[in-house]
Amino acid sequence: MATKASASPSTYSPSTRRRKQERPNIKDPDWVRSDGRGFHQCRPAFLRTGAVNAAAGSAYAEFGNTKVIVSVFGPRESKKAMMYSDIGRLNCNISYTTFATSIRGQGSDHKEYSSMLHKALEGAIILESFPKTTVDVFALVLESGGSDLPVVISCASLALADAGIMMYDLVAAVSVSCLGTNLIIDPVLEEESYQDGSLMITFMPSRNEVTQMTITGEWSTQKIHEAMELCLDACSKLRTIMSSCLKEAAFASNE
Amino acid sequence: MGPSSSSADLSAEMEVDAFRRLFPLQFYERHLLESIRPDGRTHQQARDTTLALGAVASADGSALAKIGCTTMLAAIKMEVMTPTTDLPDEGNLTIEFHMPPICSPIVRPGKPADIAAVISKELSDTILSSGMINLKELSLVSGKTAWMAYLDIYCLDADGALFDAALLSAVAAFSHLQIPVVSVNDEGKVFIVSEEDKAGKPGNEPVNIDKRKLVLSNIPYSLTCLLHKNYILADPTAEEESIMETSLTVVLNSSRQLVSLYKPGGPVLAYTSALQDCVAMTMQRVKELQKILNEAISDMEVV
Amino acid sequence: MVGLSIGEKHFIKGGIAQDLRCDGRKRLSYRPLYVETGVIPQANGSARVRMGGTDVIASVKAELGKPSRLQPDKGKVSIYVDCSPLSTPLFQGRGGEELSAELSVALQLCLLGGKSGAGAGIDLSSLCIIDGKICWDLYIDGLVVSSNGNLLDALGAAIKAALSNTGIPKVHVAAAASNDEQPEVDISDEEFSQFDISLVPVIVTLTKVGRHYIVDATTEEESQMSSAVSVSVNRKGHICGLSKRGGAGLDPSIILDMISVAKHVSEQFTNQLDSEIAAAEAREDE
Repeated sequence: MATKASASPSTYSPSTRRRKQERPNIKDPDWVRSDGRGFHQCRPAFLRTGAVNAAAGSAYAEFGNTKVIVSVFGPRESKKAMMYSDIGRLNCNISYTTFATSIRGQGSDHKEYSSMLHKALEGAIILESFPKTTVDVFALVLESGGSDLPVVISCASLALADAGIMMYDLVAAVSVSCLGTNLIIDPVLEEESYQDGSLMITFMPSRNEVTQMTITGEWSTQKIHEAMELCLDACSKLRTIMSSCLKEAAFASNE
Repeated sequence: MGPSSSSADLSAEMEVDAFRRLFPLQFYERHLLESIRPDGRTHQQARDTTLALGAVASADGSALAKIGCTTMLAAIKMEVMTPTTDLPDEGNLTIEFHMPPICSPIVRPGKPADIAAVISKELSDTILSSGMINLKELSLVSGKTAWMAYLDIYCLDADGALFDAALLSAVAAFSHLQIPVVSVNDEGKVFIVSEEDKAGKPGNEPVNIDKRKLVLSNIPYSLTCLLHKNYILADPTAEEESIMETSLTVVLNSSRQLVSLYKPGGPVLAYTSALQDCVAMTMQRVKELQKILNEAISDMEVV
Repeated sequence: MVGLSIGEKHFIKGGIAQDLRCDGRKRLSYRPLYVETGVIPQANGSARVRMGGTDVIASVKAELGKPSRLQPDKGKVSIYVDCSPLSTPLFQGRGGEELSAELSVALQLCLLGGKSGAGAGIDLSSLCIIDGKICWDLYIDGLVVSSNGNLLDALGAAIKAALSNTGIPKVHVAAAASNDEQPEVDISDEEFSQFDISLVPVIVTLTKVGRHYIVDATTEEESQMSSAVSVSVNRKGHICGLSKRGGAGLDPSIILDMISVAKHVSEQFTNQLDSEIAAAEAREDE
């Protein structure tokens, strides 16, 4: 950071006078979420396949203010340096636009997301179906509005289906934030910034299998039970929306 | 047996798709003879163009431009800077063009496409030299603070004529730009004045209430053409660009003055008459683009 | 990866199914644990942990820094793991880099807690000296010297031992002149404050081979896994982090079962680790 600031004429984005986002009093029984949702209510999801023509498959997802595009390329030749492999490889990358976050260029501190996307998808893809080759999954977060990673994962599995890559099932991902004693599903950016902990599950509903799960913050076993229940239920609902999106696209192309 | 003569023999019995893949140049030349292009356009016809303003809520100004399948998303973020001592009354403008890996199979993560840097340079040269933006309008307090406008253009889908789409999205983003109302405190730090602050606490007087929109004069518009033998093809797709390599980009402003002209080499050497034809086609295109931009702006005002 | 014949694979899997692993252990028992503290004199704290053939070193370095704008009342911690190419041929070139990144992220997930700081093993607000001005930056480095499986648990243990070995110098702040200036500080050479490690969690990785799960898997056993779940558990028995590795999906009920097994195992492991750390520090003081 220090080198970056000295290289270009230093600029800053002006803030409002209120210095810090105060954490609301969540113990207050009247506390409502900033967008008026119930604690266990997800944002409306908008999904479309075929967003990028140049790619083998692609999808666009919009959950509230979180907007992402995922393109899938391949199966194509693996890089030269790669050793022979009798199963296919999966290569994932997530990047942010410079205007995705409220302060310009802050999206780059999510390097771990690429490997988490990889871990969430590898269990769902039938890698044996494209030996010796690589499938590339690239995601671009156009606007970051919270729960970015789960949205990217769901969108990526839709893009993979659009590209005709064989999968055991679609992967739906949902996260839950823990705020005091409350569990709130599908948190927005503001809620994520003051959460006590978060739990994310990526799930293949028709196989009843969890492909990836992460927990941060302090949780009791009872709380994990509750949160998982909540996530799994939301994943199953999301999967229904995802499959109907694919069906619509298939109908449209048949006509 | 050269490839061209063998292709002529084969073409009678080959499937269209196979012919297109194996002998792309012959495939195109046959179309051109009939004065039509494989996607059904005439030589001089540009693809359908759409504009949507305000696509990104987290930016101060944004626009999504689509020319055929080529899609560009431009967004402007305003930040505060201290102006340089030799130009105390001027703000500044930084323009970057990005080709993320999602836009095309040729771009890989960590390895930016060469063409992205070229287009980035051409765009900032064109926009800064066109005089579309008066940098003095970006000044807040003379010699103390001024705006730095960061314009980032992302290519979401690359299908030819990248420069044209990028310039269109950039221009549209500037016409959508709404500069935040700010006040300057005693230490020279700039704060955004929110709605509730407007009630008028002391020291909170906004300094730029009447300067929220930039006046855009001499807006530049461009058209890229491909030159192949004697043919001139307007608004090429990625496939056309890969087959016929000589391109020519003309940028004209709204009063039909030439802003810039790029012909980055290529096997075809252009006669001046071809140049004149390209300029004439660009003039036509400027009218179309002006109409599209004005419609997009008025659509937004209605909403 | 690991070159194993079909016979060897069957032997490993069969042994695990019968609760008798190749080295004579039961499914839920650890290899002997050996801890040594203060191995790197230049660092503020360091420790070396050996579990069978796995050998890792962790060091903690504290430097004065400036808190970030978003969290002015907190210090900063960064965790980085280096996989030495010497330890396994597999770590040469990119292989080591990927594993390094994966381990670093997993450790951050397990040790640093949620955004608000709840459940963090390291209390970030204790690292702050003056709000918005000065804080301690902790640089935690892990080095894999030799690898024979279960790296994450070993690194977690080494970091815990290194933190207990860490002394952070006391800082005297000269009266600040004005609000804007960076106040002058005086770092004491003699007085140190000890780090409280009672809430630093331990990491337990359960590796699923066949229908059973095992703790402290060796490299051979890891090559046969379908998936692995790493759970970090603190002394209160609360889960502070969880991540999953390996391709195969898991039934949600199995994950819950694994969490409760990990919680149970962690109690023994925490006690064993604490007594080893105490013994190591006693040796160092002599």
